[in-house]
Amino acid sequence: MADANAEPAVGSSGSNESVTKIEPIRMPTIEEIRAQDVWNNCAVKSVASGVMGGGLGLMMGLFLGALDNPITNDTMTGRQQFVFTAKQMGQRSWSSCKTFAVMGLVFSAAECIIEKARAKHDTTNTAFAGCVTGGSMSARGGPKAACIGCAGFATFSVLIEKFFDRHT
Amino acid sequence: MATPSPIPAGITKDQAFNMAQTEMEYRVELFNKLAQTCFVKCVDKRYKEAELNMGENSCIDRCVSKYWQVNGMVGQLLSVGKPPQQ
Repeated sequence: MADANAEPAVGSSGSNESVTKIEPIRMPTIEEIRAQDVWNNCAVKSVASGVMGGGLGLMMGLFLGALDNPITNDTMTGRQQFVFTAKQMGQRSWSSCKTFAVMGLVFSAAECIIEKARAKHDTTNTAFAGCVTGGSMSARGGPKAACIGCAGFATFSVLIEKFFDRHT
Repeated sequence: MATPSPIPAGITKDQAFNMAQTEMEYRVELFNKLAQTCFVKCVDKRYKEAELNMGENSCIDRCVSKYWQVNGMVGQLLSVGKPPQQ
């Protein structure tokens, strides 16, 4: 508020030497405000989430692609088997990367826009954003699949949010 | 703010100083009330993190904008001399 800043805590008349000095409240500089405002932008946030989702999808696809189709045929030499498995891992990880990137982007953008519009920080923002993401991702299967995708992803995202916010 | 504005004619220096002091007190009071009102309205009491999240930011933007607008309107009505209409 516009009152005077906090003054250093004064101990009772000269008794203790180890008085902790309270630092006055420092207003943020214009550069700090601008740096924080970068993350207030919905586009920046959603792109960053998309990139993180893509990285996660890459890792997951790499791992699962290796487990996908263990080749046991003896018609290929060891080196050929290695090349084949590597190609399969690459394909799987790239497609999974794309999927997860889109998912992260859509979810983050939806949550950001909904929260900005509602002007409240709630779990209903997460639920709506999850519904939008799940619905848009399974919209190809028709309206029924979209509804199921919406409900499922909304539940999943609310559970994950509650899991990460357990301690507060 | 290099050169101070000249005092208008017919007002002594003392009067100008008192007017400036009153104005300053008014401004400080306005800012304190505004911050208090919008903080109570927008920020959740259970503090989960240090920074304002997006919802609180947009709530504060709207709150301050409305407060300022109403303040301007009431000030204008009072300065004209009419009582503010319901």
